[in-house]
Amino acid sequence: MHHLDPQPPPCESESEPKALIQLRQVVKRYRSAGGEFTALKGISLDIYPGELVGIVGKSGAGKTTLVNMITGIDHPTSGEILVNGVAIHKMNENQLALWRGRTVGVIYQNFQLMPTLSLLNNIMLPMDFCGLWQRRISAERALELLRAVELEDHAYKLPSAISGGQQQRVAIARALANDPPILIADEPTGRLDSVTAETIFQIFIRLVEAGKTLVMVTHDESLACRASRVIHIADGQITGDSRPRGEGEP
Amino acid sequence: MIRPRWYKVLADLWGNRVRSSLVIASIAVGLFAIGIILTLHTILQRDMRSGYAAIHPANMEMSVLSLRTTTLEKVRGVAGVQNAEAARVFNLRAKARSGEWVTITLNAFPDIKNKKINRPKLEEGNWPPHKRQIAIDRYKLDELGCNVGDWLELELPDGSIRTMQVSGVIQDQSIGASGSGGGFFMAPAQGYISADSLGWLGQPEAYNQLYVAVADHAEDEEHIRLVADRVRKTIEKNGGVVLSQSVRASDNHPNSSYTLAISNVLIVLGALVVVLSGFLITNTFQALLVQQVGQIGIMKTIGGRSQQIIAIYLSLIFIFGVLAFALALPLANWASRGLLKFLAGQINMELQEFRPVPAAAFLMLGLALIVPQAAGFLPILNGVRISVQEATSGIRQTGKTSRPSRLEQRLLHLRRAPRPLLVSLRNTFRSKGRLALTLITLSLGGAIFIATFNVRTSIDDYVTRVGKYFLADINLTLERPYHVREIQKSLEALPEVKMVEGWASARAEILRSDNLVADSTTILAPPADSPLVQPILLEGRWVSAGDHNAIAISERFSDILPGIGPGDTLRLRINGQETRWTVVGRFQLVGKSGGYVAYTSFENLNRTVGYANRTNTFRVVASQPGLTLQGQKELGRKIESYLKSQGYNVKEAAAGLTLNENTTTGLDVLTTFLLIMALLTALVGSIGLMGTMSLNVMERTREIGVLRAIGASDGKVIQIVIVEGLLIGIISWALAFLLSFPISKLMSDAVFMALFDASWRSSFTPIGSVIWLAAALLLSAVASILPARNAARLTIREVLAYE
Repeated sequence: MHHLDPQPPPCESESEPKALIQLRQVVKRYRSAGGEFTALKGISLDIYPGELVGIVGKSGAGKTTLVNMITGIDHPTSGEILVNGVAIHKMNENQLALWRGRTVGVIYQNFQLMPTLSLLNNIMLPMDFCGLWQRRISAERALELLRAVELEDHAYKLPSAISGGQQQRVAIARALANDPPILIADEPTGRLDSVTAETIFQIFIRLVEAGKTLVMVTHDESLACRASRVIHIADGQITGDSRPRGEGEP
Repeated sequence: MIRPRWYKVLADLWGNRVRSSLVIASIAVGLFAIGIILTLHTILQRDMRSGYAAIHPANMEMSVLSLRTTTLEKVRGVAGVQNAEAARVFNLRAKARSGEWVTITLNAFPDIKNKKINRPKLEEGNWPPHKRQIAIDRYKLDELGCNVGDWLELELPDGSIRTMQVSGVIQDQSIGASGSGGGFFMAPAQGYISADSLGWLGQPEAYNQLYVAVADHAEDEEHIRLVADRVRKTIEKNGGVVLSQSVRASDNHPNSSYTLAISNVLIVLGALVVVLSGFLITNTFQALLVQQVGQIGIMKTIGGRSQQIIAIYLSLIFIFGVLAFALALPLANWASRGLLKFLAGQINMELQEFRPVPAAAFLMLGLALIVPQAAGFLPILNGVRISVQEATSGIRQTGKTSRPSRLEQRLLHLRRAPRPLLVSLRNTFRSKGRLALTLITLSLGGAIFIATFNVRTSIDDYVTRVGKYFLADINLTLERPYHVREIQKSLEALPEVKMVEGWASARAEILRSDNLVADSTTILAPPADSPLVQPILLEGRWVSAGDHNAIAISERFSDILPGIGPGDTLRLRINGQETRWTVVGRFQLVGKSGGYVAYTSFENLNRTVGYANRTNTFRVVASQPGLTLQGQKELGRKIESYLKSQGYNVKEAAAGLTLNENTTTGLDVLTTFLLIMALLTALVGSIGLMGTMSLNVMERTREIGVLRAIGASDGKVIQIVIVEGLLIGIISWALAFLLSFPISKLMSDAVFMALFDASWRSSFTPIGSVIWLAAALLLSAVASILPARNAARLTIREVLAYE
């Protein structure tokens, strides 16, 4: 495995660690023909740089809604969300898209790669949208990221030509395209066998070691307990917040 | 290196070639139709004018009694005259290959080799014809059934036969220019001979027709009338008598009313096709964008902003538009060329070398670039506005609770219907906006298709109605006038003959208040209250017994004498003598398609021309009602041989329905053209139908996977999809049927105003509706079954992952 991120980890204050992600009394209600449903009931949460946070809970507990709040993919009904000091709950869709492209890498359970683009182009696309890299450099960087997930040889294949595990590795490489400080993974191993899931998790650990903050939704307890911090959610509320490896707050 | 976003554009284009082909076809078919319409419109108008001007047409045509060569020379010297030619024009009968004797108009020219006016175009053989040779105009060549080199038998007035060799086949665009005798389509076969054959054909070597071209302002009919007045005075000063006169601008082809009618239809169709294409393209992009929602969500997740995503899809649409244009332009030119060739042959015009119409190409390009962008913009905007969560999850949160409509509630309560049918029914009405768009597209296409058939029927109906001006079974013309009672008595002895009427007729010049001749008219004079004429009166009444110098005029008189109506005085010059008539009514005939026609009573006209109960024209009614054309021809032959045996010389015994046949032939051009346009619309509608249905099914590939996952067999899935397709087909047909009525009215008004200067009641025929119903059902089923079968072939895993 090559280095996933050549950037050094961000400098941290020894005395007062500042939360990278802050949620304050976040409420999310959905309305449907069946009536109103509260998915999140006033959640407050701080996530610190360099943490690998596992969010666990049963189906319908509100895990995905919670991470959608952090990525700005969904808007809170009430409450505040600050990510890296930015109040994203006040941003519009367009601002959120650019912000998300630069700040958050999102990894989905079903990979969500662009089906008509090669793996290389899939990774280059976020760089193209956000304009952080020159075109020539972005191609080199995409190849480097593919090399990091050991898929350089498949660079010009379509997603449909590779396995699910390989697609998820490409999705991780894409999430890293703009070198965001935060990675959000929603059930990243949900569609993978245990061996492949382990490979993916190892990549996550390395990313965190390289300084990334990673929030992972899972209902796989065995995977969650290997995170630096585990947050339990049930019925839209945090019911537990623990550090299985016994580490102190960053 | 291409940026990844543009690579996505190309990958989307190439990645799903079937879908891209459907989208391109949807745009191309509209462009194709518009391209054809504009190309035809432009070239027909332009080539008809320039092609006619190129033959150096006569600007005035005069029938003259005693036209001497010295007079002709003097006419050439009249101010404003560029050139003048004389001819002897007369009718004989020619024996067609079928054995039937048909009327042929012979045009004899003194200096045929150096003919400068109304120049014919040689199509085959040689020009000019030498002595005892004849050249034939191509239009009625089939009727005669002769070819170059053949010998044509001609019957002279005294009954003797002369045989002339056909030296060539020509095209004479001036046929029908004088407006007498019903114009081009009603004109008999035309033969062209040298004046030195006249004596051999028993004709005097004197001229009775004068053709004059003016020196300048040849496009100004008012100026031509002034020159014509000087010409007339010169003729009269030299002892000649002008029997009739007509003027025509050099760019006014005798059949221009047909091109005007065709152009009017094209304009109406063009406007409808633009609207149809707009809906078709919007519909197509709506379907396309629905399939792209998931990808839009991903792009937004990884940093794509709205304007960037909009640019991606607008670029895709731009490429679709360009490709559709590249496909449609050559196809439209190719089809236009074929259609123009067909039309030119039918309406006696000369096409110039085909060259693409830049305006058509620019319009097509403009539409290819603008309409798809405009049609796609809203669906794109809607797609881009969807939140990332909705896009990636595929679940739309409207924020408001939606209650099922009354129709949906009824569908929910349908319990007895089979489940697959219920699924089809509910699917059909689930996305109402989408359904509406699909239905509008299909209904409009169907309605235009059905309407073209209705317009055809309206034209046929009109022709049938016009036939009631000429209700006799046989129109008999004798070599010289006889007392009416004498011929009646003779013919009524035949058991096949029920009734005989003597009709008088004359050519007359219509005088304006400034004493200039406006044009010439044919006056028909049946006995007062003749049952053989059933006029379509626009105002006033028909001529009655006891009326003194009363006359009813056709609608065309309003063109040259605006506002003329019942009670007004009409001044006509007959045989050089001015006469005054009181207009009692105005009737509708065939408008610009024919010349000026007026009806008076036999008694009135005979008194004016001094024939006193004598005439050479008779209308015969058979004892057996409802004779066919064949039956009438048979009776005509019998009457002719009977009269000959009685010592009468018959010039012509024409079947009454021939007139109808000739009128219909002219209008057939239009109805055939309408049929072609109907097929073109059907093509637009069909591709629209197939594209829409296919995209509908493609959009539901995932749903098909779910159905299969819960146990639906491939057959069941296909059944559900086909039933849904058929439902949409049936609903669209019903709407098309209703919509076809106003469109039929719009189109037939456009045709009738151009041809007849009047509107006519819209007729309805079930043919178009039935064909479209069959087409809609068949195409809906075919368009649904292909993608459904493809979807059914995918594994459930593939289908659930389908994007």
